[in-house]
Amino acid sequence: MKKGYLGIDIGSISTKGIIIGKEDQILAKAYLWTKGNPIEAVTNLLRELQKQIAGKDIVVVAVGTTGSARKLIGTILEASVIKNEITAHAVGTMSKYPDVKTILEIGGQDSKIILLEDGIVTDYAMNTLCAAGTGSFLSSQAKRLDVPVEQFGKIALTSKNPTKIAARCTVFAESDLVHKAQMGYKKEDIIAGLCNSVAQNYLNNVGKGKKIKSPIIFQGGVSKNVGVVKAFETILKEDIIVDEIGHLMGALGVAILARNTGQERMFDFKVTDHSFETRGVECNRCPNHCEIICIRDDKKLIDAYGNRCERGAIKQ
Amino acid sequence: MNDRIKIGIPKALLFYKYGNLWINFFENLGFDIIISPDTNLETLEKGKLKLDDEACLSLKIFMGHVEYLIDKCDYILIPRIACLNKHEKLCTNFSALYDLTKNLFQDLPILHYNVDVDHHDSELFAFLDMGKELGFSYFDSMSAYRDALHYQKQQQTLKLKKQMEKLRSDNLKILMVAHPYNLHDELIGKQIQTLLEKEGVSVIYSDCYDESNLEEEAKVISPKSYWTYNQELLGAIVHYKKRVDGIILLTTFPCGPDSLTNEMCLHKIKDKPIINLIIDELNSENGLTTRIESFIDIIKEKKKRRNPVGK
Amino acid sequence: MENKKVISFPHLGNYYIPIKYLLNHLTHAEVVECPPITKKTVELGSKYSPDFVCLPFKYNLGNFIEALEQGANILMQAGGGCRFGYYADVQEQILKDLGYHFKFFCLNDKDHLTVTYLYHIFKSINPKLHFFKFAHYTLLTLLMINYMDRIDRIIRANIGFEIEENSFVHLQQEMWKNFTKKKHFITLTKSYFHYKRKMKKIPVRKEENCLKVGIIGELYTSMEPFSSYFLEKQLAKMNIEVKRFTDISYLLVTKRFKVKGLLKQIKKYCTYQIGADGMDNVARVKLLKKQNYDGIIHIKPFGCTPEIGAMPIIQRISSDLDMPIIFFSFDTQTSEEGIKTRLEAFYDMLKMRKEKKS
Repeated sequence: MKKGYLGIDIGSISTKGIIIGKEDQILAKAYLWTKGNPIEAVTNLLRELQKQIAGKDIVVVAVGTTGSARKLIGTILEASVIKNEITAHAVGTMSKYPDVKTILEIGGQDSKIILLEDGIVTDYAMNTLCAAGTGSFLSSQAKRLDVPVEQFGKIALTSKNPTKIAARCTVFAESDLVHKAQMGYKKEDIIAGLCNSVAQNYLNNVGKGKKIKSPIIFQGGVSKNVGVVKAFETILKEDIIVDEIGHLMGALGVAILARNTGQERMFDFKVTDHSFETRGVECNRCPNHCEIICIRDDKKLIDAYGNRCERGAIKQ
Repeated sequence: MNDRIKIGIPKALLFYKYGNLWINFFENLGFDIIISPDTNLETLEKGKLKLDDEACLSLKIFMGHVEYLIDKCDYILIPRIACLNKHEKLCTNFSALYDLTKNLFQDLPILHYNVDVDHHDSELFAFLDMGKELGFSYFDSMSAYRDALHYQKQQQTLKLKKQMEKLRSDNLKILMVAHPYNLHDELIGKQIQTLLEKEGVSVIYSDCYDESNLEEEAKVISPKSYWTYNQELLGAIVHYKKRVDGIILLTTFPCGPDSLTNEMCLHKIKDKPIINLIIDELNSENGLTTRIESFIDIIKEKKKRRNPVGK
Repeated sequence: MENKKVISFPHLGNYYIPIKYLLNHLTHAEVVECPPITKKTVELGSKYSPDFVCLPFKYNLGNFIEALEQGANILMQAGGGCRFGYYADVQEQILKDLGYHFKFFCLNDKDHLTVTYLYHIFKSINPKLHFFKFAHYTLLTLLMINYMDRIDRIIRANIGFEIEENSFVHLQQEMWKNFTKKKHFITLTKSYFHYKRKMKKIPVRKEENCLKVGIIGELYTSMEPFSSYFLEKQLAKMNIEVKRFTDISYLLVTKRFKVKGLLKQIKKYCTYQIGADGMDNVARVKLLKKQNYDGIIHIKPFGCTPEIGAMPIIQRISSDLDMPIIFFSFDTQTSEEGIKTRLEAFYDMLKMRKEKKS
């Protein structure tokens, strides 16, 4: 019997899962869209992972969750570690690249930069204002240009003369884009311009005032876009490493963290058969109107959170 | 060949207020002066890199100008003005300007210029100190300052004359209320001014009027405002209100004092068409054009209704 | 009937207690505190505020509206420093235009707080007020504020380690009740020392090298917990010792004695005052480093001009001193989840650094 450690990263756009062994070796991995329903996504993800390890005599003994739905899923799966994305990404990346100095990450809804020195996080930043320049921004622009977002990078590389596009704000970028298209710019130039502006904005915004040192690793959904990678390389004048499992780093990190806790408890994949239900209840005990999230497992309340004060506490 | 000392002045913020004074002072003392060129998009881009997103647009532009001047001159004048009249204040950006620039650009040859009346540093002292730093006696600096002051006054009178001519014309007249550094900036005020002039409007500037009754006039709108530069704007509104057809309040995002005084104006001025234009780095020209055109249409319509015959 | 005076004033952390105490003694009017700040307060305030005015304005305006709805007819506002000094004027105008009837008093004359002006105001509310009584209670209130701030400092350093939940909070509430009953300097001081002893006796489980974090930044977000999404409470939950500099005692009294000394300490970075607490915050970075704190949290409302001016300098001094720092900018739209995530990551980072060092 081999011990496995499960890490799940539930992002706003995609859900990632990974099972690792004692020496960080990957035993199973899966990646699918969240589609606005994290519980269903995780259920499907677990089924997929179970299929991959079936018959290999692997027992999952610890679970960790990260990503924006970490608390919800962590509660349901009784995870031993519930960690924020920043730490998870740093830990995951360091396990593969021990001497990494900078991690650039652009995901679906948010982007972050993590600076490391001698194996510890020394500084980090996250985007604060809006989703401009992130994955969802790129996909909506792709739709507008009627180009599949997966091909964005390739098309961008063919451009010889990228157009300048203001992409600090999604709304303004859209109007600028329409304007430029109307003026007759070539599609590939516009796409290359978009990729450049994503990189430029990221550095101006999230990366402002940060000393970016190589080795630099670029992760998150947008790292699959070669156009953006090239833009980063041009601006920073450094090599950018894009790992093939870069999108799984968060899951990997939290799996490692779960393993490091030392607490082991058999994880039962049967949890996928349960029907979980979440409901937002508005607490009316004061004008704060906190929205309290109740999680039920077949009508039994397993957890509730979201209240700011004692008045809103829901007892089991 | 030319080994005269060069002094750089960023063409932003307070340059538009004291530019004549500074230039003349340095020229009287025999220095070469380099003024950064008009603001363009590149200036703004460079400034944006230096400052936080939330910083004032005009401040970002200033930093862009400073960046241009690096390595082009022996001294760069970074004014710090904290207080001009007792019990009055300026936006804190002006008191932070010196230290902020010093920390953003390291090893910059900055020329001290500090006016802080609340702490007994008047404008005259600021000039004398500046002269001393450049190796001139108080006497030399004093006479250079006097001449410069005189020159500045002359320029102001000339400007006032021009403004009066505009006021007498039959065109539609719109008062543009903004801090001088926004009003005359290529990227901010000039852009709007061109739009207005295209529509046949005479633009009246808020930084040019007879300020002898300033205090009383400013009090009409707000008795308790204590920002010297905003007092001047409020004064201008009261001064010109009756002689113009509309008022445009022009602000850069997110100007602290303006956010409050403009709100005050919008509440208090009910008898003249007034709009509040906020410029930030994302503004597209299209949006601005639409807003200004419709504003002018409203004014024209109102005028027509009042004088149905034509004039 | 109509002439019954009902006074109210905006919230700022726990300071409603001494202010209410002062007003109760100096005027014969009824004093109602604004309803506690809730999401509704913020919504109300934002609805009638100018677009990009800073956050405290919106909170205060929301407070006023709720107080007026409860029947208040005299409102009080303070001011000073930056934009804050001009709040009163604009708020009065906005509220009048909304159709409320009330009297409005701004405790500071333009940008300066003076005793004579203050006396003048209270005299106009309560014509029978004698100057000695005014002076007695004003000083007493100042002393009470100072004692409250001192106790607060003890609480902040220890509350993250209490063994029995809420033991500090309960004792603090008891203390407030006791304070407001006192009428003389000696009895108040006695009460203070009594509660200080009690505070120190509350059992805590505090390790020698626990994480220590300093909070610097703008004054309103520092002092009003609702506006910073209960930052201090969240830090306490993570078992962190917290130090905060800004409180009313500092702003009213200590600050004016410290400015010159602070400027001298950070000569390399600052030559002048930056406005509001900008320069103080730069100096605090150095102080916190000296006292071996692990990290700094800088908070401010979105668009706070003085702090934005100070931030690049703070960034530079903290990178020179190798001091981890994180910046939060609070708006009415800020996502609470985002703050939590960043705070957790900050905690992890500090923890990792600490483990590495030892």
